[in-house]
Amino acid sequence: MTTLLQSFAVQGTVIWALILREMQTRYGRENIGFLWIVGEPIIFCAGVAILWTLIRPSHEHGLPMTAFVVTGYVPLTMWRHCVGRGVKAFEANGALLFHRHVTPLDILLARWVLEVAGTLLAGAIVAFGAIFLGFMEPPVDVGLLFLGLLFQMVFCLGCMMLIASASERSDLIEKFISAVMYLSIPLSGAFVMVSWIPEKYQWILLLSPSVQSIEMVRAGQFGPAGHAIYDVIYATWSIALLSLWGLSLTLRSRRFITVI
Amino acid sequence: MISCIDITHEYPAHGGRRRVLDHVNFDLEPGQKLGILGRNGAGKSTLVRIIGGVEIPTAGEVRRSMSVSWPLAFSGAFQGSLSGIDNLRFICRIYNLDYDSTRAFVDDFAELGRQLGEPVKTYSSGMRARLAFALTIAIEFDCYLIDEVIMVGDARFTRRCQEELFEKRGDRSIILVSHEMNFIRTVCDSAAVIHNSHFTMCDSVADAISFYDSL
Repeated sequence: MTTLLQSFAVQGTVIWALILREMQTRYGRENIGFLWIVGEPIIFCAGVAILWTLIRPSHEHGLPMTAFVVTGYVPLTMWRHCVGRGVKAFEANGALLFHRHVTPLDILLARWVLEVAGTLLAGAIVAFGAIFLGFMEPPVDVGLLFLGLLFQMVFCLGCMMLIASASERSDLIEKFISAVMYLSIPLSGAFVMVSWIPEKYQWILLLSPSVQSIEMVRAGQFGPAGHAIYDVIYATWSIALLSLWGLSLTLRSRRFITVI
Repeated sequence: MISCIDITHEYPAHGGRRRVLDHVNFDLEPGQKLGILGRNGAGKSTLVRIIGGVEIPTAGEVRRSMSVSWPLAFSGAFQGSLSGIDNLRFICRIYNLDYDSTRAFVDDFAELGRQLGEPVKTYSSGMRARLAFALTIAIEFDCYLIDEVIMVGDARFTRRCQEELFEKRGDRSIILVSHEMNFIRTVCDSAAVIHNSHFTMCDSVADAISFYDSL
C-alpha cells in the first residue's frame, strides 16, 4: 500500500515539475510570461463572443447570443487546444523521457492540466466580464454547468491520449488532424443546439460526446428555456470507453518513442 | 544489482531489421566497474541506453535493484531551449533534490558562471558535458552510466571527474563506454566486448583489451 501511495506521490511530483517546465518553454519569461496560458484563450473566447454579439441577432431560437457563444466556445477551445497539444507530444518532449520516472502519460497529464486550467479560467473571466457588463445572465444551474464541463474535460483527456499515441505510431495522423478537427466543428455542438435541427437527424449530433457535454453546460446556463437534450448515461460510458482506449494506447506507446 | 536478461534489440533498416544486440545476459554487482568495448556502431551506446531505461529492448528485460543514472552522453537529458538553471530546477524537482545545495554543487563543479542562465543549446560541447556531469553526480545514484563523455573536457575537468566519481564515490557501480584503453585499464575492474551483436564478458580487463585490439 505504501509503495502504491509512494508511486502516486512520485507521479504527482513529476507531473508538477512537467507543468512548471511546460509553462517556461511555451511562454518564457517575456512580458506576462506563463499568464499567456489564460491570455491566449481569453483573446479567442472574448474575441468570438464580442464579434458574434455585434454581428448576429441578439437572440437565436430564443437564446441570448453572448451566453450562447461563451457556453459553446469555451468547451470547443478546450477540446481544440487539448487535441492540438496532444499531436506529437511525446516527440516534442522526448528528452524528458531520459529520466526513467517520467512517463508518456505524465507528459500528457501535465499538458492536459495546463490546457484545461487555462481555458476554464479564461472562460470564467470572459463569463464574469459579460455578466458584469450586462451581456449575459448568471447560470440557472451551476452544478449542471460544471457537470457538463467535467464531462468535456475527461473527453478532452481521452481524445488527447488517443491522438498523442496515434500520431506517434503514424505520421499520417499529423497531416490529417487539422482538417479533421476543422471538419468536426459542426459535430462539437458549439454553434448549434440539438433541439434546433429536425428530430430525425438529432441522433447524429447526440452520438458526439462533445455535443452531450455542451448540451449539459447549456442546460446549466439557460435552464428549461434552453431545451437542451442530453443523456448522462450515454455520455458517461462513451467518454469512459474512449478514455480507456486512449489510456491503454498511451501506456503502450513508450516503445514507439525515439528518445534523442 | 542490475541484471540484463536475454536482451535483444533490433532497429528497422533498409526494409528489414538489423539486430544490434543478440541475447545479452550479464549481472552487474554493487561497486563493480564495467568497461564496455567495441567498434563504432557495435551497439555499446544502445546497450547503455537500454540499461538506463531510455530505450526499450525488442525482447528481454533489465532488472534493477539499485538506482541507476540516466546515460551520461553527448546528447539527451537536457531541454536545449531552457537555460542551464531551468534544467537544473527541473531535475531537482523530479528527483526531490534541494535546489540551493544542488545549485551550489553544480556551480562549483561545472564552473559555467553566468552562462548557466543561458539556453543550453548555446553551450559548447565541453560546457554541455560539464553541466551534464555535474547534474548526474549531484544525484547520488548507486550506478552511473557513462558513455564517452568524460573525454571531452580539459585536463582540469577530467581530474575533477576522477575525484568526484572514482574517489569520493568509489563504492558505486559504473558502466563505462570508451575507446580510450588507458582510461578503461585504470578505472574498470571488469570489461566486456560487443562484436557482431554478441556481448562477451571477458575474464579480465587485459583480455578484453586484447580481444578488442584483435578486431
